[in-house]
Amino acid sequence: MKGVIEMGSGPNRVLIGEGVWFTSILDPKFKSNRISVNLEAPLLEETAADMAVLSLLLRKACRAYPNMTLLGSRLAELYGAYLDGEVRKHGSKEILNLTVQGIDDRFALEGENMIQDCAELLCQTLFDPNFGEDGMFGEDDLRLERQYLVDTIDALVNDKRSYAIDRCVKVMCQGEPAAVSRYGTREKALAVTAWSAAEIYRRLLRTARAEILFIGCGDPSGAMETFRRAFAQVSREPEPVPDAPVKLAAGEVKEVTEAMDVVQGKLVMGFRVGDVSDRRQYNALRMMLSVFGGSPFSRLFVYVREKLSLCYYCASRYDRPTGLMLVDSGVEFEKKEAAQREILNQLEAMRRGEFTGEELSAAQLNMVNAFQTTGDSLGSLEGYYFNQIFSGWDKTPEEDIKDLLEVTREEIMEAARRVSLDTVYFLKGGEQNG
Amino acid sequence: MAEERKTTVETVSSSLLGEKYYRVAHKSGVTMLLCPMEGFSTAYALFGTNYGSMDVEFKTPEDTDFVEVPAGIAHYLEHKLFENEEGDAFQRFAATGANANAYTSFDKTCYLFSCTQNFEQSLEILLDFVTRPYFTEETVQKEQGIIGQEIRMYDDNPDWQVYFNLLKAMYQKNPVRVDIAGTVESIAQIDKDLLYRCYNHFYNLRNMVIAIAGNFTVESAIEVADRVLKEAEPFLTQRRVPDEPEEVSRRKLEMELEVAAPIFQMGFKLRGGSAEENMRNQILDEVLVEIIAGETTSFYRELYDKGLINATFGGEAMSVRSLLSVTFGGESREPEKVYEAILERVRELKRDGIEEDLFRQCKKTIYGRYIGMFSRPEAVASALLASHFTGLELYSMVEELGRVTREKLEQRLRTEYHEEWSSLSVVRGHGGDNDEDGI
Repeated sequence: MKGVIEMGSGPNRVLIGEGVWFTSILDPKFKSNRISVNLEAPLLEETAADMAVLSLLLRKACRAYPNMTLLGSRLAELYGAYLDGEVRKHGSKEILNLTVQGIDDRFALEGENMIQDCAELLCQTLFDPNFGEDGMFGEDDLRLERQYLVDTIDALVNDKRSYAIDRCVKVMCQGEPAAVSRYGTREKALAVTAWSAAEIYRRLLRTARAEILFIGCGDPSGAMETFRRAFAQVSREPEPVPDAPVKLAAGEVKEVTEAMDVVQGKLVMGFRVGDVSDRRQYNALRMMLSVFGGSPFSRLFVYVREKLSLCYYCASRYDRPTGLMLVDSGVEFEKKEAAQREILNQLEAMRRGEFTGEELSAAQLNMVNAFQTTGDSLGSLEGYYFNQIFSGWDKTPEEDIKDLLEVTREEIMEAARRVSLDTVYFLKGGEQNG
Repeated sequence: MAEERKTTVETVSSSLLGEKYYRVAHKSGVTMLLCPMEGFSTAYALFGTNYGSMDVEFKTPEDTDFVEVPAGIAHYLEHKLFENEEGDAFQRFAATGANANAYTSFDKTCYLFSCTQNFEQSLEILLDFVTRPYFTEETVQKEQGIIGQEIRMYDDNPDWQVYFNLLKAMYQKNPVRVDIAGTVESIAQIDKDLLYRCYNHFYNLRNMVIAIAGNFTVESAIEVADRVLKEAEPFLTQRRVPDEPEEVSRRKLEMELEVAAPIFQMGFKLRGGSAEENMRNQILDEVLVEIIAGETTSFYRELYDKGLINATFGGEAMSVRSLLSVTFGGESREPEKVYEAILERVRELKRDGIEEDLFRQCKKTIYGRYIGMFSRPEAVASALLASHFTGLELYSMVEELGRVTREKLEQRLRTEYHEEWSSLSVVRGHGGDNDEDGI
């Protein structure tokens, strides 16, 4: 059952093994090809750190290129092809992602078969890791990558904006998957062993649903065959990960203030949106967010920043799988209350439908622009289809645009009314009080 | 092609890349670099002036002496140009769906948008608002709060601080020592008259360039320029940049901030020449960065295996007008050891030369990087603009890479990379380890 693959059409999705899908999105305008393999597991505090260390170990070496220098040289021979491994969160799922991106065969100066070489390298990193004779990762590699994970967890504090967002979500969502960091906790990171990393590796290969994405300008059939053969070598018993229930509405508002040696305050307001599996409601929410806080002409930017000069940034974001909406702003310590009040005023205005026809059409144009732009980069196409696949949807950016333009004013007001404030987190200056 | 009185259009092509773009000498005095790209939905347009945070002293031929303006004024201008009598330029872009922004660097200020629809309308807004300033005492005053918060945000950003501290350590006189946005004190001195004065000097179309790549036609871009832009006066402003000695200001600069592990940046201060020479040398330096400490080197692996660096480590070659430098940085528990190791690595390379295999691989890597760049409209437009201000044609940069030899690199290492012209900047957490973990 060879998939027929056409240039410039929508995604082509083929089942190539037990729970293994190969999706290709092709466009001749590109000069490079990007292949990623994504393995789905439940997002759990017990295993997140093991998964994270595993992603670092896999990207670092494999049996054929057993150290960074040899792997680095191989990538350099492939014209500086990019290879990376990471873990991503999607609601109740944690996804191990390995990606390779290299220039197309057309630009190879010595006639290399770039797509085939890149696909094989990606397969080697996934299926043939740098195990010792005991079938485990080497102690030295394990120790270094475990330390790097601990350093990464520790360094979250360096970027105050994302640190404050992270803290708000942790306070707000205790006990929910949203509060589990994709890196796990520091304690769990320190406890990762060569054995636990190899164990989770074997479990992933056996049980994870696998989604391979090929995005670029070349012929994907060779890469597809390579993956088909590789997955046929392992015994597979896929265990799909169910979506976790989403908390519907907030209870009493939690207020948390923490202190740190900073000169600018960070205000993060966490809202509950509830379960939005219905596409129509989802589209209404996205339009609501676009008018409210998604652009430099949105209400948060215009009122909180420009009219009141309260801050440099004030924006909203929304994560559908967890049902969270966050508004964050960098403000002077004394202006926190004023900013918070104005953010809530603007949300209230959205609920009452106090936005103009111009604001609505600006939000529509902005969305059209954003979705049309998706098709112009390999990375954003990968992000778009990754999200479609793990949400269980099969839309294209063009269909998304069409749906978004159908959203009415009443639906937007309705969407704003779904939103309830759960937690207000503020990072202020002064002595750290933990 | 439009037959304008004084507008001329020239095609620039590269057989190596199979690419071309158009260079338009527009009758208004502005240069337009236009690269339509087949198959793309987005058009990315940049309107930039050769004027940045380092331009703080200047005069016209009639002025008797140079004036010095407060630090941060180019960036302040960038913020204020978005506003005029009719309101905010963002609001005007809202009606076209374009995504607009702006940025100020050491040597340039750029206004930009990306769009998939209404290209002509968006380009018209861009060219119009940048060429039609409107400042009042009141609006200028209001912006101090917003920019003040922007500066505060960077004060808390350790990556930014460690980089600016390195520049402070490396440069004795050049204004790159000062933060692009200035300081809360310096921006307090900025008023509407100063803004107009700087604007009138540097926002002269002959000192500016329009670079567009992606989904648009050359004719439509020229047609909008014809409609909006008026012929500029000759550009006569002279800048004064203090002579920068070869020696660094200090070898080391440390700061404490709220960070986990220490972060560092080390830099070699290289001797600069003209902007064009610098651009050529920057290509050599880009290859050298890979050769000294790229992931292909065993040097990188040794530092990594000793736990001295981690995956945040990286290097960069930077050229800003007459300045050139090469920097390496990341997180490290022992930044001093990494610094010492890089110096030792350079000594070795000077003594033993560069291995042939490593040289070949690093060149291949950088070639691949350039190819990747040419399929992204924003990267193409940005590269066209940057190369224009240096006077070096974009495609010739890629060809220049083909001419890089081991001998040239070794010579450059020996004559330019000196231990005593290097500095180290470190940002550490307060008083040692803090093991307080997030709940």
